[in-house]
Amino acid sequence: MTIALLMVHGLVAVALLGAITHQTLAAWAPVRARPGSFLGRFRTVPSASFTNAIVVLYLVSALLGAILYLYFRVDVRPALERDGHWQSLGLFDLKEHFISIGLGLLPAYWVLWRRPCADESPRMRAVLTAVIALIVWWSFLIGHFMNNVRGFGQ
Amino acid sequence: MTSGLAVRRFAFTFGIAFAVLYVIALARDLALFTVYPSLGVVLFGTHHSKDVADPAIGFVAPAMYWYGWTATAATGALGLGFLAMLLPDRSTWRFGLAWVCVTPVLAMIACIYLTLPWFRL
Repeated sequence: MTIALLMVHGLVAVALLGAITHQTLAAWAPVRARPGSFLGRFRTVPSASFTNAIVVLYLVSALLGAILYLYFRVDVRPALERDGHWQSLGLFDLKEHFISIGLGLLPAYWVLWRRPCADESPRMRAVLTAVIALIVWWSFLIGHFMNNVRGFGQ
Repeated sequence: MTSGLAVRRFAFTFGIAFAVLYVIALARDLALFTVYPSLGVVLFGTHHSKDVADPAIGFVAPAMYWYGWTATAATGALGLGFLAMLLPDRSTWRFGLAWVCVTPVLAMIACIYLTLPWFRL
């Protein structure tokens, strides 16, 4: 059951990673990117259309992670502590902290993409998207790393 | 339009307040509740093993505070967000847009600082 949940969590995370990376690159790509170029094609996709999917995927991924965290604390972490993987545990703690901070950013992120004001700089929206992308990438990589150090069922 | 501005104030205030309150909750260990996953018990407030019975109980029944810290930050941020919604629409919130980008980055740096002890073990 735990491993099935972990796999679903991983799949949701991959979808989230793809969506937020696409939106971030599109937001930061130069406006005058040559049509037909890699960046030009990125910009032609309406980035705002990713927003609802990203918010939902982030929430689902965080919820699945929060459930798995209970099993991790009981089944995996004691073994990591016993073996002295303190740096790995520190990296994992940072992942949890960053995810929480990202949760708090979701309303502002949604408003900036779905209800933009004319007097707001698109750069701010791009910065906030990049922050969330950083959180998602960090969480994905550290989650994968931790599972390699010691996964469920080992 | 008015409700739209109020929603913006809520969203920006929530984002800024959540980041700040999460760091405070983490630094001061202010968890709204403590979870004991092996026992299936949730206690209101922050509880350390020595508060319950014996320091050794920490190995038998590990406590989790992350849920509580997140709940503390969310509760406080919700309150401040709703207060911001009550402010008059003429209030300018351009500064809020900048802070909602800067504050989480500062909060993440603070979290790194607070996590440094793990890397010194």
